[in-house]
Amino acid sequence: MKLGILLTTSPENENTNTVISISSAAREQGHEVSIFLMYDGVYNIHNKEFAKLADSGVNIAVCALNVEQRKISRVDGILFGSQYDHACIASDVDRFISFG
Amino acid sequence: MVIELDLKGEVCPYTFVKTKLKLEELDSGEELCVTFDHAPAVENVPRSLKNEGHKIMGIEQKGDHLWKVRIRKA
Amino acid sequence: MKKITVIVRNLPLNTRRNAEALRMSVGLTLRDDKVTVIFIDDGVYSAAPSKPELINFAPLDKEFGALSLLKCAMLADRASMQKRKIHSLHENIKPTEREEIVRTITESDIVIPF
Repeated sequence: MKLGILLTTSPENENTNTVISISSAAREQGHEVSIFLMYDGVYNIHNKEFAKLADSGVNIAVCALNVEQRKISRVDGILFGSQYDHACIASDVDRFISFG
Repeated sequence: MVIELDLKGEVCPYTFVKTKLKLEELDSGEELCVTFDHAPAVENVPRSLKNEGHKIMGIEQKGDHLWKVRIRKA
Repeated sequence: MKKITVIVRNLPLNTRRNAEALRMSVGLTLRDDKVTVIFIDDGVYSAAPSKPELINFAPLDKEFGALSLLKCAMLADRASMQKRKIHSLHENIKPTEREEIVRTITESDIVIPF
């Protein structure tokens, strides 16, 4: 199954841990996982757990405009994409969960 | 003939929305030249257009924050 | 084609969340899915005419203009409006009974409370 996740809150919010836990559990069960980070969710890109998720095959994209607005440096393995990428995730997945 | 579209001052997703709407007015094979001044758009709009089947004919930097992207409609 | 509903429910002037919800809604149309925006609870303040530029806050004209152009339905929960004594809305936003709001949400493939 393809799972899409939207995260719009910053790392101090419990949403971050929930997204990490759900994503890694879904990957362990062989599901395809795509995460889109926007608004304050882009602050999560420097969380090492997200790098681990990317290494495990989770597709992670961020809204490059929000990253630029917050002057956050880029991270390898994460797509500095656009709302088009979010639209693709929403359009293509079987289930979509929003954490805001 | 190449149709020009000036998207200076526009950010995502309006850069892509306006490019897409303009391309809808064109016939297959016609070319559109879009001007951007928002760096992420220069990376993302061509990638997204390719994903939609259009062909990127060239990306040219015209200044510090100015780019022209030539697109051939699928 | 999926039905995607975005729910705007926060006060508008102490956060960019509502503006970003609308920008995201514009983006979600890019794969030709059907996007509906619902304004509910304090989110209906975003649907009402205002002058946020007076406090150096960007108005939402661009977002509303794009959503109208892209023919996205924009619904404001009438009960939330009445509770806050809101009587007028931005162009192309429809005051909507709670039953229709619920129907829109339950018929959606994806619901994004932003």
